[in-house]
Amino acid sequence: MSGRARVKARGIARSSSATEVGRTQASPLPTSVDLSNNEASSSNGFLGTRRISTNDKYGISSGDAGSTSMERGVKNKQDFMDLSICTREKLAHVRDCKTGSSGIPVKLVTNLFNLDFPQDWQLYQYHVTYVPDLASRRLRIALLYSHSELSNKAKAFDGAILFLSQKLEEKVTELSSETQRGETIKMTITLKRELPSSSPVCIQVFNIIFRKILKKLSMYQIGRNFYNPSEPVEIPQHKLSLWPGFAISVSYFESKLLFSADVSYKVLRNETVLEFMTALCQRTGLSCFTQTCEKQLIGLIVLTRYNNRTYSIDDIDWSVKPTHTFQKRDGTKITYVDYYKQQYDITVSDLNQPMLVSLLKRKRNDNSEARLAHLIPELCFLTGLTDRATSDFQLMKAVAEKTRLPPSGRQQRLARLVDNIQRNTNARFELETWGLHFGSQISLTGRVVPSEKILMQDHICQPVSAADWSKDVRTCKILNARSLNTWLILCSDRTEYVAESFLNCLRRVAGSMGFNVDYPKIIKVQENPAAFVRAVQQYVDPDVQLVMCILPSNQKTYYDSIKKYLSSDCPVPSQCVLARTLNKQGMMMSIATKIAMQMTCKLGGELWAVEIPLKSLMVVGIDVCKDALSKDVMVVGCVASVNPGITRWFSRCLLQRTMTDVADCLKVFMTGALNKWYKYNHDLPARIIVYRAGVGDGQLKTLVEYEVPQLLSSVAESSSNTSSRLSVIVVRKKCMPRFFTEMNRTVQNPPLGTVVDSEATRNEWYDFYLISQVACRGTVSPTYYNVIYDDNGLKPDHMQRLTFKLCHLYYNWPGIVSVPAPCQYAHKLTFLVAQSIHKEPSLELANHLFYL
Amino acid sequence: MEENNLQCSSVVDGNFEEVPRETAIQFKPPLYRQRYQFVKNLVDQHEPKKVADLGCGDTSLLRLLKVNPCIELLVGVDINEDKLRWRGDSLAPFMGDFLKPRDLNLTIILYHGSVVERDSRLLGFDLITCIELIEHLDSGDLARFPEVVFGYLSPSMIVISTPNSEFNPLFPSVTLRDSDHKFEWTRMEFQTWALYVANRYDYSVEFTGVGEPPAGAENVGYCTQIGIFQKNGGKATEACVSEQHDQHVYKARKGLTMLPRLVLIFHPQAVLLPHLPKMLRLQVFTTSYPSLQQERFFKLVLVNEVSQQVESLRVSHLPRRKEQDGEWGDEPKDTGGSKAPVPCFGPVFTEVEKAKIENSPKPFCVGDKFFVPLQRLLAYPRLNRLCANEEMMRSVIADSIPLSSDGSAVVTDLCNYFDEQFEF
Repeated sequence: MSGRARVKARGIARSSSATEVGRTQASPLPTSVDLSNNEASSSNGFLGTRRISTNDKYGISSGDAGSTSMERGVKNKQDFMDLSICTREKLAHVRDCKTGSSGIPVKLVTNLFNLDFPQDWQLYQYHVTYVPDLASRRLRIALLYSHSELSNKAKAFDGAILFLSQKLEEKVTELSSETQRGETIKMTITLKRELPSSSPVCIQVFNIIFRKILKKLSMYQIGRNFYNPSEPVEIPQHKLSLWPGFAISVSYFESKLLFSADVSYKVLRNETVLEFMTALCQRTGLSCFTQTCEKQLIGLIVLTRYNNRTYSIDDIDWSVKPTHTFQKRDGTKITYVDYYKQQYDITVSDLNQPMLVSLLKRKRNDNSEARLAHLIPELCFLTGLTDRATSDFQLMKAVAEKTRLPPSGRQQRLARLVDNIQRNTNARFELETWGLHFGSQISLTGRVVPSEKILMQDHICQPVSAADWSKDVRTCKILNARSLNTWLILCSDRTEYVAESFLNCLRRVAGSMGFNVDYPKIIKVQENPAAFVRAVQQYVDPDVQLVMCILPSNQKTYYDSIKKYLSSDCPVPSQCVLARTLNKQGMMMSIATKIAMQMTCKLGGELWAVEIPLKSLMVVGIDVCKDALSKDVMVVGCVASVNPGITRWFSRCLLQRTMTDVADCLKVFMTGALNKWYKYNHDLPARIIVYRAGVGDGQLKTLVEYEVPQLLSSVAESSSNTSSRLSVIVVRKKCMPRFFTEMNRTVQNPPLGTVVDSEATRNEWYDFYLISQVACRGTVSPTYYNVIYDDNGLKPDHMQRLTFKLCHLYYNWPGIVSVPAPCQYAHKLTFLVAQSIHKEPSLELANHLFYL
Repeated sequence: MEENNLQCSSVVDGNFEEVPRETAIQFKPPLYRQRYQFVKNLVDQHEPKKVADLGCGDTSLLRLLKVNPCIELLVGVDINEDKLRWRGDSLAPFMGDFLKPRDLNLTIILYHGSVVERDSRLLGFDLITCIELIEHLDSGDLARFPEVVFGYLSPSMIVISTPNSEFNPLFPSVTLRDSDHKFEWTRMEFQTWALYVANRYDYSVEFTGVGEPPAGAENVGYCTQIGIFQKNGGKATEACVSEQHDQHVYKARKGLTMLPRLVLIFHPQAVLLPHLPKMLRLQVFTTSYPSLQQERFFKLVLVNEVSQQVESLRVSHLPRRKEQDGEWGDEPKDTGGSKAPVPCFGPVFTEVEKAKIENSPKPFCVGDKFFVPLQRLLAYPRLNRLCANEEMMRSVIADSIPLSSDGSAVVTDLCNYFDEQFEF
C-alpha cells in the first residue's frame, strides 16, 4: 500500500458513514459502504397509522409477513420533514434569485426525469373504518381489496387510510364484505381530503407507486432501494454478492415533480454464521474462541434463509444444541432439527453448533414479556460488511472495481430502467391507472467556475489540473514551516535499516520544501504494541516535538494505542508509518514528500494558500459521527481557521450523547475559536461561514431551530459592539442528482468546478451543487450545499466561488477535495477519535493539524 | 420460533371454523394446519414433481410446499384473484434462495379462474390437491368437477378434503361451517360420491381424515374427511398428454399474461357480466427459483464452496502465531471452567470420507503461495456432491479463482490482510 493509499484507506475508506456502494465512486477508492444493513429498523404505515401496522418489524421485504411497500414510509417521512423547513424565504438577498453568474456555461444531463400528469390531477384521501373493528391489518386490506367496488381502481391502502386517484361517487361509501368465517363486516369509506399534486402526501403516494412499479419489474426492495438478484456480481474470494439496483425517489425540485434514479449496489454476504464461526475457531484456537466469537458476532444483523427475516444477534447460547427441544406456541415440544425439517424441509447438518439468541420485539403494543428466538447459525446469513471488512484495502478495492461505473455505463443503466418501466405492461398499467406519464430525461445548464491559483511561498502557481498539483509545486517552497529539532523515531530491529534510509530521503525532500529536519533519536523496540507504548512513555519528554513510529504491521492496536496516548495522555504530535510502505521500491521519494508535508502540518506549519477576497473571514467546519466502540456517543469535530489567509486552524473534538448536546458543544467550540482569532488578529472576524457536515435525514429542523441560534449567541456574546456576521451551510456528500456532460455522443463527468444552481435544486432552499472532485474511472458525485442561514449577504456567485476555493485547502492532499477543507479536517479528526482514541484529544494540540 | 407465521396467515385464510367463539372444541395444532401438514406428509412420502392446489386461497399450502426439494412445478388456482395477487409476492424466492440455491428448479404459477374448466396447462401432474374445495361448488360445478379433474386432468394422485357434517353437532349452533358452503357431507355421502368417481375414472381411493373427535364422541369420525385417490396403472403416458395440448382455456401470450386487469377492462363480456366469466383462467403470478440446475447459480455455489475450503486449508497451514504473553491487558482471555464446554466445529466426516481426504493430494506451499490440488478439493463431500470430476471443476471456476499454471490446483497467497488483523 502506498502512503497515499494507506492514508486513504485509513482516513476515508473506513468511513463510518453508511451508504450503499456504487453511489460514491468519485474518489479512487470507494468512500463508504453500507455497513449497517439496517433493514431491522421498524416499518410502519404512512401518516402515523402506527397502531395497526406494527406487523413484522424484522421484515426485509414482503416475505412471509406480507408487509407492503407502503410500510416503508419512515425514512421518507424524514426527508419530507426536511422539505417542510423553508429557509430561503427568510433570506432576503436570495428570495428572488439564488443563481450565480460567473464561469462558462456547460450543458448537463441529469439522472432526473419528468413525471407528467394532467393539470387538474388530484388525489383523494379516504379513511376506512370497520364494524366490527378488525385488529388484523392484513384482513382489513384483504377485505377492502377484494371488494368489487374498488377492484378496478388505482389504490393505495395501509389498513386505515385509502388513496384513490378517482373520486368515489359518494362522500361516504358503505360497503360490506363477508369473511370466510361468515362474519359480515361493514366498511365505511369516508372522504377526508382532496390533495393537489404538490401536496407532500401526494409525493409520498408517488413514491409508493414507484416502489410498486419496481417490484413489478421483479426487483427486490431492500431498505429504500431496489435490487435485481438475477444479475449478481460475485466476489468469491471475499464471499460477497453484489446485487445491482437503483435508489429511486419522486420529489419536487425547483419547479416540478421529478423522478430520480441512481445506480446502487447491495452488498450481501455468501457466508453463514456457522461458516464464519468455523473459520474463526480455526484461527483463534479453542482457548479464547467463545469470547472472541461473541465479540465479533453480537450486535450483527443476520438474515434467516428460510423465512427471509432479519434478526439482530443479542447473545450466543453455547449450552443449547440443535438436538435440544423447545416448546412451540401450541405447547408441544420438538427438537430444533425436527422443527426445521418439518417446517422448512431443511436438514441441519452440524449438530454441535450453539444457538444464536435474538430478542424479538413484541408484535402490537401489548405488555407481555419480550420473547427470545433461538436461531441456528447454519441457517443465518451474515449481512452488511463488518468494520474489519471495510478496513480491508483489498476487499474494498475488489468491491470498488466491480461497482464502479463510468458516466456512460450509468446512463445506460438508467436508460434500461426507464425502458423497462415503459415496456413492462404491468408497470405501465400501474402508472396509467394513476394518470401518470413517464417523461423525458432532464437536461440543464451549469457553470464551470474559474480555476484557482495556488499560492506558495515565493511562487504563484496555476496548476495544470486542480485534481493534483503535486507536480506543479514540486520545486516550490511551502508557505511556512517550523524547524524540527528534537524528535524520536521508534522502530523494531527488523525495520531499523529501512527507517535509516527513509530518514535520509525525508530530510532531503523536507529541505527542498523549506522544512528543516534535524537528525532524530532512534529508539529500537520489540515488535508488539505494548513495547511501542512503553517506549513512548519512557522517551517522550516536554522537549520532544514529534514522535515517528515505524509500525511492523497494520494491526490496529499499534496505531490506536500510540495515538491514544500521544493525543490525550501526553499530547505530542505523532506520525505513524507502516514499515511495509517504506519497503516499496521506487516510491520512497513520493512517500517521503507526503510524510514531510504531514509532519509540517502537525508541527503547525502551512503548506499553500488560495486567494481569499474577503479580508476578515473565519471559516468553520463541523462534522459528527458515531464512536466505533460505544454507538450512543457522538463524536463532534470542529475546525476553524484562525488567520485571514485561511492557512492556520484551531481544531477541537468533543464527545456528546444527543443532538441538542451537539449544539451546546458547538457553542463551547465557537467561543474558543473566536478567542483564538482575537488572540492572533487582535480583533474578531467580520464574517464567519460555518460548513456543517454529518447531517442526517430529518435533522434540518434541529439545525435551524437549535444549532444556528446557539452559534449566533456564541458569536454575539464574544463581542460587546458589532458582532461577526454568520452564515451556516449544510454540506452533503450524498445526494440523489448526478450530472453528466455530453461529448461526442457519449456522456462524461463534468469538469471540476461545475456548479448547478437551477432545476435540480429545491425552491424552498438556497442551495447549489458543486463538483470539486475527480473520478478517474467512476462517476463523480456532486457535493450538495444548502445555505440555511446567511447574515453575510454574499451574492450567490461569491458564496459558490468561496466554497470552491475552500476545497483547495486540505493539506493532506495536493489537489482539490470533495468538500471544503474545514469539513474535511473535521471529518478526519472525528474519524481518528471515533476509531482510535475514543476520548477528547488534549487542547494543547488544538493549534496543530495533529490528526492528519 | 417461527411457527407463528402460519398462525398469522390463518387470519386471512379465514379458517376460523376450528376456533368457534364459544369454543367447545379446539384442535392442536389448528385444523387447517393439520390438513396442510397432512398434504405435506403425503408429498414427502410420494415425492411428486408437479403439484397443483385447486382452490388455493391465500396460497398458504403452496408456501408450505415450496420448501420441498422434490417439487419442480407448483401451481395454485383460485377464483378470488385479488387475494391471489396480493399473496403472490410471498411465493417469490427469498434473498437466501439466491445465496443458497435449491438443487432443482422450481417454478410457481398462480392462475385465476374456476377449477372446473379444462386447462391443458394442468395436464400431467403428479398430485392435485383440493383442500376444503368441493363444498364451495354449486351443484352444476360439482357435477362437472369429476369429469374435469379426474377425467381430463387425470393426475397420478388426487387429495380431496371436505367437512364431515357428522362432526357438526359438537360445535355450538353451527349448521354449515362457512356461509359459502353449499353443502356439508356425512362420511357416507362423501364416500359414496368418492367411490363412484374413483370407479368411473379408474382410480382407487382410501379414506382418512384429520381432527380427532373428542373422547366419548369417537363415532362421529374426523372433523375433516379426506379421500386419497390414486390412479390405477400409474401415470398418464406422455403421448396422451401431448395430444391434448391445445386446450388452453386462456392462451397465455407473452406480455399479456401478466395483465389480467387490463384484459378484464377491454373484455366486453367481463364488463357486462356481474360475475367473473368462467372461461377466463389467467396466469396472475409466476416465479422461478434459482437452482443448481442453472449454470450461473451452480457456478456461484461451486466457486463459493471452493473458496471456503481453500481458505480453511490455508488458515490451517499458517505458521502458528506466538501466544501473547498477556501483558496486553485488554486481550480477551478465556476465564476457563465456568463457560459451557468449548464447542467443536467444522464438518464431521465419516471414516470413509476421512480416508478419501487423507488419500488425496495434499495442499502445499511454494514461496509465499499456497496451492490446493483440485483432486484434494474433490475429496471433500460438499464439493464432491456438486462436482464429479476435476475437468468440470476447472472449467467452472477457472475465470473466478486463480489456478496454478497447469490448472491442477487452486493458488492463493499464503498470508493475507486478515491474518495480521487477528490478535488474540
